[in-house]
Amino acid sequence: MGLPNASGDLSTEVEVDAFRRLFPLRFYEKHLSESIRPDARPLGRARDTTIALGAVASANGSALAKIGSTTMLAAIKMEVMTPSTETPDEGCVAIDFHMPPICSPIVRPGRPAEAAPVVSKQLSDTILSSGMISLKELCLVSGKAAWMAYLDIYCLDADGALFDTALLSAVAAFSHLEIPVVSLNDDGKIVLLSEEQEGMSEREPVNKEKRKLTLCSIPFSLTCILHKNYILADPTAEEESIMETLVTIVLDSSSQLVSLYKPGGPVLAYTSAIQDCIAITRQRVKELQKILEEAISVMEVD
Amino acid sequence: MAAKPGSAPTTYSPSLTQKTRPPIFKGNDLDWVRPDGRGFHQCRPAFFRTGAVNSASGSAYAEFGNTKVIVSVFGPRESKKAMMYSDIGRLNCNVSYTTFATPVRGQGSDHKEFSSMLHKALEGAIMLETFPKTTVDVFALVLESGGSDLPVVISCASLALADAGIMMYDLVAAVSVSCLGKNLVIDPILEEESYQDGSLMLTCMPSRYEVTQLIFTGEWSTPDINEAMQLCLDACGKLGKVMRSCLKEATSASQE
Repeated sequence: MGLPNASGDLSTEVEVDAFRRLFPLRFYEKHLSESIRPDARPLGRARDTTIALGAVASANGSALAKIGSTTMLAAIKMEVMTPSTETPDEGCVAIDFHMPPICSPIVRPGRPAEAAPVVSKQLSDTILSSGMISLKELCLVSGKAAWMAYLDIYCLDADGALFDTALLSAVAAFSHLEIPVVSLNDDGKIVLLSEEQEGMSEREPVNKEKRKLTLCSIPFSLTCILHKNYILADPTAEEESIMETLVTIVLDSSSQLVSLYKPGGPVLAYTSAIQDCIAITRQRVKELQKILEEAISVMEVD
Repeated sequence: MAAKPGSAPTTYSPSLTQKTRPPIFKGNDLDWVRPDGRGFHQCRPAFFRTGAVNSASGSAYAEFGNTKVIVSVFGPRESKKAMMYSDIGRLNCNVSYTTFATPVRGQGSDHKEFSSMLHKALEGAIMLETFPKTTVDVFALVLESGGSDLPVVISCASLALADAGIMMYDLVAAVSVSCLGKNLVIDPILEEESYQDGSLMLTCMPSRYEVTQLIFTGEWSTPDINEAMQLCLDACGKLGKVMRSCLKEATSASQE
């Protein structure tokens, strides 16, 4: 009787849960070889995704996006600023991403998560460079006043694919945004016009009706894990911690590449792997577009 | 190209043209109507849901009108700070606001004292001796501030602790009352809080009829105090029942 294979012995005798904790990588590889993931998803499938618009009443536009259990709350508040002299007819968008201590056991008060500034920068790069928002639309009085859109995204529950969920919530918040009707008063300040004052006020509103931003080429993203020859779409936090090579691809609604982000990692990606990722993302963008359209139509019915 | 470094433009949020909005009540007026149409002694409908954050040991979401709060509990886990040995567990609380929680952006950081008030309100209800040498972290985030924020945070936090399986003598329910002129209004909204002459917050363990925290501020007369306390105690009792039924629903749903 020969000695039993050490690892084989362990995998049969040790309980599944203990095996998962002790040999996380081997646990995953066993699943991957069967083309399935521990949460019963095929490798290329993203988790269930939902969007709810108008979650925050005190903001001008807001949205709650969930991918699996990763939850993001995005809200936009519009304030007035004086535009710079170089761009007198343009407004501004300030994007900030927060990971408060409630979202994950690794974040504690006073010690912010390392991921937060990275995601924050990625988000503002993507949103501002995708051309989704025309900053000219944020102009109120050329050279005197323009809108400053403060977009704040809070991570309420962190379980992987933070950037994807944050971008989805940001895009949804912009599509929910309603710009308030304002006018210029005698002191050169911008003031709100309440509903009943409209029309009967002696002051002309600066922006005629309740305006919505025209969003062209909306960016959507998908993060994939590269591990050996496998591509895992939309990873959970556990998967991200075990297999460290991530690729995030952002495509706009007409499937044009907006950004591609591969922050290092032990797997060096071949062109073919990247192309496969882009193909999966293209599918995912169609899904996300449909989910967003549905959320907007539900909102309009209400 | 957002907010170029060094030249961050100063912004303001546009206000209504009429500088002074009509006050919600006048001096000796006794039968004014609350902005949301409630009776003076009527609370907002309370909504609780446990298990809002999957990555936490326990969590709860609470919504009272426009006041929306989420609380996560982590632990018991290793105490991070280099602290003295302790036979009993430690409770660590933190309350923060989102930048869009308040009507004017970024005013939520005015409530630094809420963290320690939350700590003191919960401390008495938790059996700290059941998790010696370790820390339980209670983190609250106010998603939207619609008035009576702290009582909502406290009630929500005790539910999150129960969801995390932390041993407690009882759930902690909290209610506040504002004194506006001659009237006492329970569970005030933000607008009412801005006009109040005085406020009272009472947190208690309803089934034991024990008070864990009682805070008065402002102008009060003795009969008003008695009336307000009785109002709070009654409301806490009712709130406790709502919280209890939320916990029962969660467990019966998970058993199915």
